Amino acid sequence: MSLFVAGLSHRNAPVELREQLAVDEDKLRELLRDAAASGTVREVLVLSTCNRVEVYAVADVPGEARAALFRRLCRHRGVETAPVEALLYTHADAEAVRHAFRVASSLDSMMLGEPQILGQVKDAFALAQTCETVGPALHTLFTQAFAVAKKVRTETEIARHAVSVSFAAVELAKKIFAGLDGKAVLLVGAGKMSELAARHLVEHGAFPIYVTNRTWARAQEMARALAGTAVPFDELATALAAVDIVITSTGAPEPVIKRAMVQRIIHARRGRPLFFIDIAVPRDVEDAVDTLNDVYCYDIDDLKQVVDANIRERVREAHRAEALVDREVAKFLARLGDVEVIPTIVSLRERLEAIRSGEVKRTLARLPAATPETREAIEALSTAIVNKILHAPITKLRESSRAGSSRSWLELVHELFGLGRK
Amino acid sequence: MYQTLLTLAIVGYVVATGLALAYLVLRDELIHRLASLATLAGWVLHTVALLALALDLGRPPLGSLPEAVWVAVWVVVLLEMWLERRYGLPVLGAFVLPVAVALSLQSMPVRPLIAPTLRGAWVWVHILLALVGIAAFVLNFAGALMYLLQERQLKTKRPGALYYRLPALETLDRLTYRTLALGFPFLTIGLILGVLWAGAAWGSVFAFDPLALLSFVAWAVYAATLAGRAAAGWHGRRAAYFAILGFAVLALTLGAGLFLPGRHGG
Repeated sequence: MSLFVAGLSHRNAPVELREQLAVDEDKLRELLRDAAASGTVREVLVLSTCNRVEVYAVADVPGEARAALFRRLCRHRGVETAPVEALLYTHADAEAVRHAFRVASSLDSMMLGEPQILGQVKDAFALAQTCETVGPALHTLFTQAFAVAKKVRTETEIARHAVSVSFAAVELAKKIFAGLDGKAVLLVGAGKMSELAARHLVEHGAFPIYVTNRTWARAQEMARALAGTAVPFDELATALAAVDIVITSTGAPEPVIKRAMVQRIIHARRGRPLFFIDIAVPRDVEDAVDTLNDVYCYDIDDLKQVVDANIRERVREAHRAEALVDREVAKFLARLGDVEVIPTIVSLRERLEAIRSGEVKRTLARLPAATPETREAIEALSTAIVNKILHAPITKLRESSRAGSSRSWLELVHELFGLGRK
Repeated sequence: MYQTLLTLAIVGYVVATGLALAYLVLRDELIHRLASLATLAGWVLHTVALLALALDLGRPPLGSLPEAVWVAVWVVVLLEMWLERRYGLPVLGAFVLPVAVALSLQSMPVRPLIAPTLRGAWVWVHILLALVGIAAFVLNFAGALMYLLQERQLKTKRPGALYYRLPALETLDRLTYRTLALGFPFLTIGLILGVLWAGAAWGSVFAFDPLALLSFVAWAVYAATLAGRAAAGWHGRRAAYFAILGFAVLALTLGAGLFLPGRHGG
């Protein structure tokens, strides 16, 4: 009996293939039940998102279970099996545990630290539970994976810094102002992106909101949408004096915010900083405005630069998260106690598999007239016998290691099956 | 006894400084917790050392400038621990502890010395008030330095390691203002008492005392900054530059007191 994960993800498979393999929930249910009913797997869970299709399973013969599962999956989606098979990665035992932890912690995601994956893993787990294909092994594994994911989120900053331009703007505002509570925001021009940025600011306590636009009706409309106040466009300079954060996004070919305009109001602000978020192209805020004291101007490229720095931060934090996952994997395995018996189980299985395949080959050589059906039957028969024989010693080994008495059992198994020295 | 304890306290502060600086770069919460622990350990040892010193001397450990600097460092570390929690500023240690270590190393080894003229309660009050003022200005300096660094990060738009660790500009400006407002009255009253007492003891105020002269320069810088802030709306970069200037003069003042001959001992 062995735990494994097999699948393909954004790392090794093109999106065309991933989207072909993505399975909806109803079909997943069917797939899980069929797989469990076929007897090739003892426990199984399928994780299907737009970035990965993975099967976590516990099976007596992982290779066979993997092939059967993906044959089933490909058949269902009408995809050729061979190209999928060629791309599959497979991790067994300790590596499978690590993979589950890394995926749940968003360390294997396209955008490091993105929050959705944990929810998707939880959904996949819940679905497998309702289909009753989750047994003790997957249950322990995923419960721990959720705990590790939470730990990674709280103990590293992998998900801390914004990776979208609008959130980066909010973070910058928080590095300028001690808090956004009661900070007034002015929107100059009314675009989707400035609305989004304004909403983020409001969520963090910014208030009140003013909107100005060359088209008065548009200003009113946006002001209504944001529960703000519309301001006539020719009162822009006055409005500037009263606010802390300005988001500009007009379609004007020339800057609408000039240095002289800001300089006039700066004295009356008595040192309150003024933060311009200029997401218009061409830019709305004149370059020279940034040379004024207490004024911070970020155009779209500056914001992207901040986002890039934030992503670099995530990569840095990912190294710490990987180390944390390593420790958690070791702890998990130690708790299961399997870590010392796994090598023996593997060599035991290899040993019997070698005997089995050798004998099958010899037998088939003597039966040149055997039909493919016969050959398959012989394969299946011999595999079943080997699995049945293996079952008791493997179970005993795992039990003994959990009870802390594996040493004598390990020696015994090595002696009995002639496995040589550990 | 107190020598050993003081040395151990210094070791604690040096370790804490190393950890605080490492935290600035590595940003590992564990390192920060260790730094806080080392700071606290150093400060507890420091407290015991000062008590032992006072018992040994049979008077407050303020009789010589090195002793007094030890008390100032004790106040600095206390303020650092308090403000770090108050403002949620885990990086504060990285900016304050190096100054504390530099000050303590300058005053090693401690040479207890009772100037025969040091008598009367007022002189102790003079020393103590001036020291609390100096301690507040160490924090003022740290706040100004952090402000300038964060301001630079925001203006250049290239967020580096410090951008992520340092708090908002407004918070830092407020910290700088408050430490100035805290330190200034202490320094002022401390200096006035010193002048009155010097006049009574020696009949002249400044004669041949570099520390006294320089401390008035420092006081003038801080007075100008406070006036600028309160009346002319100074803030941000300008206020920060003045805080750093004031602290430079203050450091010079202490250096003069420690290494040049004068009434404050050399």
